[in-house]
Amino acid sequence: MATLPTILLVDDEERFRTNLSKLLAAHGYEVTTADSGPRALAELARQPFDVVLLDVRMPAMSGLETLKAIKQDYPDSEVIILTGHASVDAAAEVIRLGGSELLLKPCPLEEIIAKIETAYERKLARRE
Amino acid sequence: MILAIPLGFQVGLPYALAAVLLAGLSCITVSQVLSQKAAAERQKDLSAAQLLQSQKLAAIGELSAGIAHEINNPLAIIRQEAEWLLHLYKKEAPPDPAEVNNCLTEIVRQVDRAREITHNLLDFARRRQPVVQAVDLNRLVEDMTRLVEKEAHTRHISLEKQLYPDLPLIESDSPLLRQVILNLLNNAIQAVGRNGTVTVATRLGDDGWVMVQVADTGCGIPPENLAQIFDPFFTTKPQGKGTGLGLSICHGIIERLGGKITVASKVGQGSVFTVQLPQTLGRREV
Repeated sequence: MATLPTILLVDDEERFRTNLSKLLAAHGYEVTTADSGPRALAELARQPFDVVLLDVRMPAMSGLETLKAIKQDYPDSEVIILTGHASVDAAAEVIRLGGSELLLKPCPLEEIIAKIETAYERKLARRE
Repeated sequence: MILAIPLGFQVGLPYALAAVLLAGLSCITVSQVLSQKAAAERQKDLSAAQLLQSQKLAAIGELSAGIAHEINNPLAIIRQEAEWLLHLYKKEAPPDPAEVNNCLTEIVRQVDRAREITHNLLDFARRRQPVVQAVDLNRLVEDMTRLVEKEAHTRHISLEKQLYPDLPLIESDSPLLRQVILNLLNNAIQAVGRNGTVTVATRLGDDGWVMVQVADTGCGIPPENLAQIFDPFFTTKPQGKGTGLGLSICHGIIERLGGKITVASKVGQGSVFTVQLPQTLGRREV
């Protein structure tokens, strides 16, 4: 049986975090949450994650700043950006900073899971 | 042939012709210079208009991004709650009523959150002309202070009034001013949180303008945020706790009333919001 990826979910909106964590856990995923960029970096320093789900608009350290820091310290990480306001510019910036995907909120759970699986497969393929 | 020319000189034809040619030439040169100057002015106006237009487009872009973000976040949570309910109904028969109730309550809360944003946006967009009447600013401030007294008391915040005696009546719009003062008072209380002071003062400036100041001993605003404090959707409050439209609406209202709103702040010491209003509506310059 294939193993499921471990996920770090970073979002400053508590209800969004707990809901998505609960929904992903119901599909068998192991999810750790962080409410800010610095906390996400602290979690990554503690343990590796296969996929990071990252919000853009967060106080203190934005999602894009966090993405930059993650890619600098953990270049192999797969980061999926979750945002409430996607634009061509934002997508270009995410790609430039090394993000894997850009998902526009609200998006169906199946779509989030599909992106997580694609990102995980990409990571496994790199390891082989 | 002698030609009479102005200035009382009498000169021969060649000189006169030369003078006429020279005058014509200088006229052409002057008209060319004037036309070049006008073209430059037109170009300058065009550049200024283009700059203004690009600034407007950038502002619309910012506004749209803010609206999308503020509406999509509650929508995302509503979707999650619905997905969780579907999951519960697939798995359990029947699901825990407490959990169903929790999901539905959250859906209602998020709809209210989105509604607040759209309603505030409508206020923001509404450009109704001020209804001018004589306004007793001291009385208006007292009325609005009374509305927040209970909240301040609950939070152990001292609410102080320093009202200028015999403040003249001003020509303004009472409902719009009430909205501004109440918003500033609520913001001040939220900035203090607990155990502090909010002071509301009225003053008469040397220049005849009247002022309302709302000062708090709260957390203060970092210098890097001061320039954006009146921008739509700019907020330092946690997600779902503020739309970031209150101060931009206040700014728009005060501008329409011919006044100015400014802020001074020090992190850790507090902020002072100053509203300056003309005594008669229509006077826009100090």
